[in-house]
Amino acid sequence: MKNGPVFFLGLFGAMALSWGSIMLANHQLGTLAPHFDENEGKAFPERSSGIAGRGQLVYADLGCAACHTQQVRRPDFGTDQARGWGERQSFARDYIHQTRVQLGESRVGPDLANLAGRKTPPDAEDLTNLLYAGKTLDPQSKSQHPTYKFLFETREVVGQRAANAVKVANLAPGMQVVPTERARALITYLLSLNNSYAYPSETAWNTVAAVAKEGEHKAPDAKGGADAKAAPAKEAGHK
Amino acid sequence: MSTPANQDPRADQAAVTDESLLAVHEKLLGKQPDENANYSLMPLVLLFVFSGLIFWAGTYLNRYSGQFDPGIFNENALSTKGAVVAAPPQDPMKVGASVYAVTCANCHLATGLGQTGTIPPLAESEWVTGSEERLVRIALYGVMGPIKVKGTDFNGVMPPHGKVPGSPYNLTDERVAAVLTYVRQSFGNNAPAITGVQVAAIRGKEGERKAMTQDELMKMP
Amino acid sequence: MITAPIHASSAPIQRTPSAEITAADTGSRGPLLLLVCAAAKWLIISGVLALITSIQLFKPAFLADCSWLTHGRAEAMRESVFIYGWAANAGLAVALWVLARLGGSPLRAGNWVIVGTVFWNLGLLAGLVGIALGDATSLSFLELPRYVQPLMLVAYGAMAVAGVLAWAGRRTDGTFASQWYAVAALFLFPWIFSIAQVMLLFAPVRGTLQTIVAGWYVQGAWTLWLAPLALSGAYYLVPKITGRAIPSYFFWTALSFWTLVVVGAWTGGRHLVGGPVPAWIPSVAIVSCSLLLFHYFMVFLNLRGAFGGGGIALKFVSFGLVAYVLGGVTDSITSMRAVAKITQFTHFAVAQQQLAVFGAASMMFFGALYYLVPRVSGRAWASAALVRGHFFLMSLGIMLLVASLTVAGWIQGHALNEAAMVDGKLVLASFAEIAARTQTPLMAAAAANGILLLGSLIFAVNLLRTAFSRAGTVPVTDLLRPTSTMEAPAL
Repeated sequence: MKNGPVFFLGLFGAMALSWGSIMLANHQLGTLAPHFDENEGKAFPERSSGIAGRGQLVYADLGCAACHTQQVRRPDFGTDQARGWGERQSFARDYIHQTRVQLGESRVGPDLANLAGRKTPPDAEDLTNLLYAGKTLDPQSKSQHPTYKFLFETREVVGQRAANAVKVANLAPGMQVVPTERARALITYLLSLNNSYAYPSETAWNTVAAVAKEGEHKAPDAKGGADAKAAPAKEAGHK
Repeated sequence: MSTPANQDPRADQAAVTDESLLAVHEKLLGKQPDENANYSLMPLVLLFVFSGLIFWAGTYLNRYSGQFDPGIFNENALSTKGAVVAAPPQDPMKVGASVYAVTCANCHLATGLGQTGTIPPLAESEWVTGSEERLVRIALYGVMGPIKVKGTDFNGVMPPHGKVPGSPYNLTDERVAAVLTYVRQSFGNNAPAITGVQVAAIRGKEGERKAMTQDELMKMP
Repeated sequence: MITAPIHASSAPIQRTPSAEITAADTGSRGPLLLLVCAAAKWLIISGVLALITSIQLFKPAFLADCSWLTHGRAEAMRESVFIYGWAANAGLAVALWVLARLGGSPLRAGNWVIVGTVFWNLGLLAGLVGIALGDATSLSFLELPRYVQPLMLVAYGAMAVAGVLAWAGRRTDGTFASQWYAVAALFLFPWIFSIAQVMLLFAPVRGTLQTIVAGWYVQGAWTLWLAPLALSGAYYLVPKITGRAIPSYFFWTALSFWTLVVVGAWTGGRHLVGGPVPAWIPSVAIVSCSLLLFHYFMVFLNLRGAFGGGGIALKFVSFGLVAYVLGGVTDSITSMRAVAKITQFTHFAVAQQQLAVFGAASMMFFGALYYLVPRVSGRAWASAALVRGHFFLMSLGIMLLVASLTVAGWIQGHALNEAAMVDGKLVLASFAEIAARTQTPLMAAAAANGILLLGSLIFAVNLLRTAFSRAGTVPVTDLLRPTSTMEAPAL
């Protein structure tokens, strides 16, 4: 500790060592390419439209990641699949086209990674009501979502009512509430979130026949090749 | 030096000088071993704790790191080396439909009816539902000269479509098989599917050649 | 200056109270008081924001239609103000003061510190306005808009320079643990901050690499910056006030320091358990969290003298020490996959973070500030009652906050993971139900934030009266007793 420069070098080396782990991750994941599917004739993950890209900026600016995650966990690690959020866990390849990845760290609200890929996806009207009035997608629950009325504007009906006008009670006659461009972008973005494609490589590599709990021994006869093709144990019924 | 219990919170008391603090701790760091060889238990405990943690760390990483493989996201999965990546089976109807739409529909039309005089129809055509040897060769090498389909004469030019020299399309054997299967099971046709293996065998047998003529085709079984 | 050799058998040298305060204190008055006042101001602002966001958790309609206080933005502002406003300013004040004191000279480059502080805080203010208008980056701990971060990096460099100079120009040959931690914090933060800025904001890496880098930065900011800043103060105060050498201070203390510095940033992946990153990243993080247990164990062994010591500074430091070690232990437990399955994505993770940055680092900062402000300003604290009240409110508030968020997180985590078969149908707890079940603990957390805000206000009032008004304050030399020489402990 006496020698000044050596101390600094030691500190720097220690930090650089952990940064080395980042570089290793970069080397491994930096060149992930989309997967071309012959049947569908297109590559996955699909690129989203420009408006959806702007919607992602709105998502970041409003800080939605403070309450919503965008990462589905695998079926035997929590209830993500049982809740209909996704049939498989999210892989790194799902995020390669996103400019700002917002995995989120908090589930005050549901996971959104596969919002448009769910069995019963929401439509634009559902999301408009969510943002304007806080009405959640679950019809039985009381509204719990914060309202974002500043994403909407109240204006006169000129000619025809707008097709995407919000159904609001007690509005003055001749007026309508319409989503602004930011709201439309955000809704388009949310409706573009689709993680449902099953990549052959990731599926094959990450499927295990019998899941060993942390700390237990795995079954001695399970080897990589044969088991990797076995279907994942469906545990939806008994968690 | 003990500190009195009542301390005025408005100013905390210092018990010792900075210089002595530094000097004493410097001495502690560089303490010489005791001549009487009295060992203190604490360093041994610390050694065991530290080593134990490192040992546990190594075991955990051995089991749950997925061999540091970027393809392993599930920590319970074993190596990717033995895993067989099963690509989803290609549905020839889907692939064939997209190839047909892009490649064949320009001439044979989306309805498979062809164009009078030049492009023979594929709908209910005996060439489609008949011999595979002839059909595959037509698709691979194209047709030159007059050809009679369903009793009507057609005289056009069909370029080669397979992976053969002079082909503007270079469709793989799999895709040729897919589009032929699609055609054989669409437009009112109902004939067995054709596999890429069959197409590859025929292409291997014929090698390089010009477009087929009707006479050459009729010679095929 | 030592006028007699240090020896266990010689009579202790009596030092006068005024000799306890040297030019190292008075000469650094300007920069240090500026940092401390800025810190107090930001603490209040973050307290207000914390109150707002914690109310919004159980009452989503609260201020929801105000675009700059919508929950996502308010949360980003609160976090930025707390980390880069309060913790950064307080931590720098502590580290710079410790280095000046132990170096034996007044802060050199004091003007650089003042300029750096001004620009750092201006940058933060501009960043807050930016977040309120929608420019948050949505990266945890790095929410400040892109355009202010380089400014803050440069400002930090200006502040850190003084500390490094104080250490390089020290009068003693060897170094003490406080100095290692302080120099490590001052030196390492610009590196991790600049790397994070480049790899996340200016030349963003691809896909989930962003989360990997972001996690590395968050853990690095804690283990390589805030924790060392706090420990530098604690390691100085404990022997200084108790008069006894640090117990178990031998080369293992150095090993514990290096463990923190080397292993600390490897814990970056601990929030990515089960996430879309290769499994080795969370596995390495889990292992690192457990390796760090050695560091926490050593720190506890070293600083346990704080429990017996008197005075308000050591009260804060001992609270901080318990929180620090508890935080380290819970970190290693909750990083394990089986536990993370329940606690990740819940209020529990927030509780852990608050335990670390508020319970451990902030309380240790308070202890150091209560010790240093009288010596630097030359005046004792204006009101003893406010000091005691502040300690009471802070400890009560932090314990209530951490406990209620832990309970809320535990309930939430279990509810999220429960799936029962009822009459052949799968029944899951809906988010409305989860919100109903966690409402009471979340209200308690909001109350705790209110208590903490009150404590911060008391601290600020006391600070202002001490630093700026002559009435009601006494010169600190009136209250200080003579110091003596530390005795080396017998083996």
